[in-house]
Amino acid sequence: MSPPISSDLGYIPPDGGWGWAVVFGASISIGFPYSFPKAFTIYFKELQAVYSISYSQVAWITSILCATTYGGGPLSSILVNRYGSRPVVMLGGLLCGVGMILASFCTSILQIYICVGFITGLGFALNLQPSVIIIGKYFLKRRPIANSLAMAGSPVMLCSLAPLNQFLLDNFGWRGSFLILGAILLHCCVAGALFRPIGAATASVKTRVTEEGKAALEKKVTEDAMEMNSPMNVPMENKTEEEGGKNCCEKINQYLDFSLFKHRGFLIYMVGNVLMFLGFFAPLVFLAPYAKHTGIDEYSAAFLLSILAIVDMFSRPTTGIIANSKWMRPRIQYFFSFSIAFNGTCHLLCPLASGYTGLVIYTVFFGLAFGMVSAMLFETLMDLVGAARFTSAIGLVTIAECCTILLGPPLGGTLIDTFGDYKYMFIKCGAVMVLVGAFLFIMNYYNYRMLAKEEKERKAKEDDPESVRTENEGRNNWDKETTQGGPELEPLREEQEGLKKQVNGTNEF
Amino acid sequence: MRVVFSAKGPGRLLQRLLLVLLLCPFLSGRSPADPTMITQDANQSQGNSLTKMQAELNESSDNTSYEPITRTVNWKTQDNSPDDLTLGHSVSTPDITTQELKQAANESLSNGTYVEYEVLLPGVSGTSVGKNITLSSATRIELSCKLDKKYPHLRGLQVTWKRGNETIRHINKTENSWSIQLMISDNSQLGNYSCTLKGEEEISAVFFLEVPKIETKEKLIVSYERDTAIMICKSSYAPISWTWYMTNGSEQITINDSLLADKYVISGISANVTQLKITKLTKEDDGVYLCEAAFELGKSKGKLKLKVLSFIVPLKPFLAIVAEVVILVTIIFLYEMYLKKKEKRAEYEREFDQIEQLKSEESNGLENSGPRHRRI
Repeated sequence: MSPPISSDLGYIPPDGGWGWAVVFGASISIGFPYSFPKAFTIYFKELQAVYSISYSQVAWITSILCATTYGGGPLSSILVNRYGSRPVVMLGGLLCGVGMILASFCTSILQIYICVGFITGLGFALNLQPSVIIIGKYFLKRRPIANSLAMAGSPVMLCSLAPLNQFLLDNFGWRGSFLILGAILLHCCVAGALFRPIGAATASVKTRVTEEGKAALEKKVTEDAMEMNSPMNVPMENKTEEEGGKNCCEKINQYLDFSLFKHRGFLIYMVGNVLMFLGFFAPLVFLAPYAKHTGIDEYSAAFLLSILAIVDMFSRPTTGIIANSKWMRPRIQYFFSFSIAFNGTCHLLCPLASGYTGLVIYTVFFGLAFGMVSAMLFETLMDLVGAARFTSAIGLVTIAECCTILLGPPLGGTLIDTFGDYKYMFIKCGAVMVLVGAFLFIMNYYNYRMLAKEEKERKAKEDDPESVRTENEGRNNWDKETTQGGPELEPLREEQEGLKKQVNGTNEF
Repeated sequence: MRVVFSAKGPGRLLQRLLLVLLLCPFLSGRSPADPTMITQDANQSQGNSLTKMQAELNESSDNTSYEPITRTVNWKTQDNSPDDLTLGHSVSTPDITTQELKQAANESLSNGTYVEYEVLLPGVSGTSVGKNITLSSATRIELSCKLDKKYPHLRGLQVTWKRGNETIRHINKTENSWSIQLMISDNSQLGNYSCTLKGEEEISAVFFLEVPKIETKEKLIVSYERDTAIMICKSSYAPISWTWYMTNGSEQITINDSLLADKYVISGISANVTQLKITKLTKEDDGVYLCEAAFELGKSKGKLKLKVLSFIVPLKPFLAIVAEVVILVTIIFLYEMYLKKKEKRAEYEREFDQIEQLKSEESNGLENSGPRHRRI
């Protein structure tokens, strides 16, 4: 199975306390980037009329928004590695707000592409990644629950933003709505303010305060040493690895860890997820049109999406609780691949759904599956890569996912247009997800076995005293001679120590 | 589409119909190769497809000349009623019917339009059946009321066709259906035509003949000062012309876009759709706008409401929300600073305590080691 849960952060995360405030902030900060593009489609008709453009041209706004949100991942990772989560999220919130405020003054569709697409999209990118990163810093034992609660912010935001957008549009027109939306997006700054920095230094301060007596002082000393060691270890490792003087690579690795591409688990995750997103969002986009195509009226079709959001809202925390259970946590990668395959099966069975009741049942299962996958999306990456390298990992993964996320719905659209039938789109999405689920399952099984093997080898090395001796005393000539009779010398050494003690004792006289 | 042969006494009627079929081309003076449409009793459930076909015919018709012999175009909607009087022998030959329909449509181009509408009378009094018929150009129309086979007790009763108070002469098409033929060529002829079956109770059906309706955005259009507003009106049939009015209280003012070309721009995106663009909005532009479509048979209006707001209106909630955000962020930071100070104070106190402890232990140790040493 997976290696035991251990922290490679250099400190023990609190797993509670202020962490829950951080989760609340993260749910706001994650909710906006995911729900805003979907809720924004309410303005499409209005913008189409005002600027006399076609639907595909106005749909570019959300495409650019999504592309920038995911494409800005590496930039976000670099900034977090350098400055920490809090300043980045606050900057992101400011950017989002400013982008929408500027958009309310726009006079052409190109300006709206820039303001809403690029500026707000960049703001979202600076919001999304750091929020996920900071959860990994605050939680370890309860990390799946924390992750799923933070991801649950997305359907909650969607349910509230959609009617809010409609209300704003009816009362203030699209310009006033953009202005007020800009102010609402500034709440990401509030979320950012909640992201109190935490790290090895601050954790040691906490232990200084909580423990009493001499023991506390001693601990402080050791932890300071650890704190000093951890940043020094990294550059030392880098130096030993690349003694050819490749300074720029070291620097880049400090900001964005490209050595992750040698990490087996990371590669498995990346390949699986990049392929998964080909079929992840398309059914969501085409659910309402498909419902209308089968003869259901517009309001009932919209209601299907509401059902999906509500089921999603409850499915995410529940998945988190299940994933956090003692039995599931070591096998979380299997749970993730199962949920992807479950999602795929739902889509494959969708064309069999007849009438409104059938579609409602499909929507309920889709909502369940969607929530399960979303809740564990980042948790599994954290589990594979570890919280320390997660910062860079998420940046690299999001920019790779960016392409397939954008390709997915248009690909589905072309399938629908070519065959004139929605079922091929569902079959394609379902097939892709089932295959990815199977792929992840098999590859993670292999990964777990390799990890167990490596763990065994490492333990064997530690237990063997000979190898330890040779490593420690290789330089000293005197030691080289003595290593030949290493085990024999031990009792001698002990005798020496015992003599020393006696001498000390006599000295005390 | 099903071609249904009425079959009372199937054999005899069929023969009669065949005769008519054969004789018709000679009567009209047309070549026998022209396909003829058989007048059929058609059952209509909702007649939506019918009105659509009607619309296509109307759009393509010239309306210039009307010849006495016209093509009757009848087609069935999806009809599954088992009580169909005409069901005796139903032939469904979709290919043939669509061919015939197409050719009929082509011919009506030059001949004008003729449509039939039929309604089934309800058996229960008090319920009235109605049918909305949209006409955009001059048509010859035949309205018929048919009695359902379900109600044999109502047979043989008198039927009157009325428009308002005026009675219209009708023809007994068959034993249980009565129809009137009308030539609708101007607005005054539109209205409600009803057929009433007088017996112990009165049973009636009404046909509402009207001009096409205009679709507009029903919600308020909100715009801002110095901004541009766009208003769109759509119609299901192409009108002859569009006119825009602005209502100022009770009076209607025609919008002349050539006069105020920089303020108003009227453009037609297509024949069915018109667009009014108002630039440089001011408070006076606030109000109700009417778009009027002129059809051959009359005019139809659509209403749009425009509201012009000043920029201060959304600014107030905006500033309120920004203020709230700033306050929240300040509270969070202040709380954090307060916690840090508390921690530092507590830490300082603990260090002080620990130092004191160390000092006391050292002094204790020295005292202790002394006696021990001496003891040995």
